[in-house]
Amino acid sequence: MAVRVIDVRERVMAQNDAIAAEVRRRLDDAGVPSLNLMSSPGAGKTLLLERTLADLSSSLRIATIVGDVQTQNDADRLARQTARLVQAVVTGGACHLDARQVSAALDGVDLDDTDLVFVENVGNLVCPASWDLGQTANVVLFAVTEGEDKPLKYPKMFQRSRYAVITKTDLLPYLDFDVRRAIGYLRDVNPDIEILLTSARTGEGLDSWYEILHAHVHAASHIAADAFA
Amino acid sequence: MHEMGVAMEICRITEEHVGTDGARLVTGVAVIVGDDAGVEPSSLEFCLETLFAQPPFGGAAVYITRVSGDALRVDYLEVDDGCPCH
Repeated sequence: MAVRVIDVRERVMAQNDAIAAEVRRRLDDAGVPSLNLMSSPGAGKTLLLERTLADLSSSLRIATIVGDVQTQNDADRLARQTARLVQAVVTGGACHLDARQVSAALDGVDLDDTDLVFVENVGNLVCPASWDLGQTANVVLFAVTEGEDKPLKYPKMFQRSRYAVITKTDLLPYLDFDVRRAIGYLRDVNPDIEILLTSARTGEGLDSWYEILHAHVHAASHIAADAFA
Repeated sequence: MHEMGVAMEICRITEEHVGTDGARLVTGVAVIVGDDAGVEPSSLEFCLETLFAQPPFGGAAVYITRVSGDALRVDYLEVDDGCPCH
């Protein structure tokens, strides 16, 4: 026996983070912002994107990358709302998207002909928060059919998100969901989080959502233009 | 929930370092896991033990050290170069 120790001290996420940094550089160079949508299954990510594509496809060139554990059902739904390519990523069991999958999906996107990239992550409030995808910002969706205390139960997800989109507000009259309590919990775990109240069914709150999207497109294109100048 | 993915990445890092070093056998892998790393230590240990039962690991021991914060890294490897008399 000749046992010895090899010092490693390497972060487990180092390779993913390096690929994510490369994705971020590609998007920045092209002046294209990307938003990573995360939530528990069934919170309404796909419906929000369907509405967004239907309402904005004439004014913004939007690329979408859609992750699911199995099936391309969500990608098929979104493809019906846009003439542009919707990239489906079937993770085959993995509970989150990683930077390598997003990088490969972006290879099929003409970034010079794109204003905005959406990444619809796998429905899960735990794992996706640990994987950087090179996104400009994280968006967490949170339906009124869930408990108000979701932010307390899954703090990492809400701490890492810049926006919290409360969805399905059209159902509030039929539920005991206390919006003020939910907002309080959101602020407890992330005082800076921007909160939107939306219903993709009735259109409530979508104007604010679209303003955020346009602001990101505007900011990213100016950053790229300044870097080029 | 994604402990198997994390464990596979730890295997990749281990193989990379062992390949560079030229050691013959990995006998132990030490991992630092932060309380906020989003990883359940006992589940990670189970995944690593399962993976380390396969070649080229040959049943390497798993040493998990818990710390505060969100650290998640491979700290060191124990390797065996075999009997120098052969």
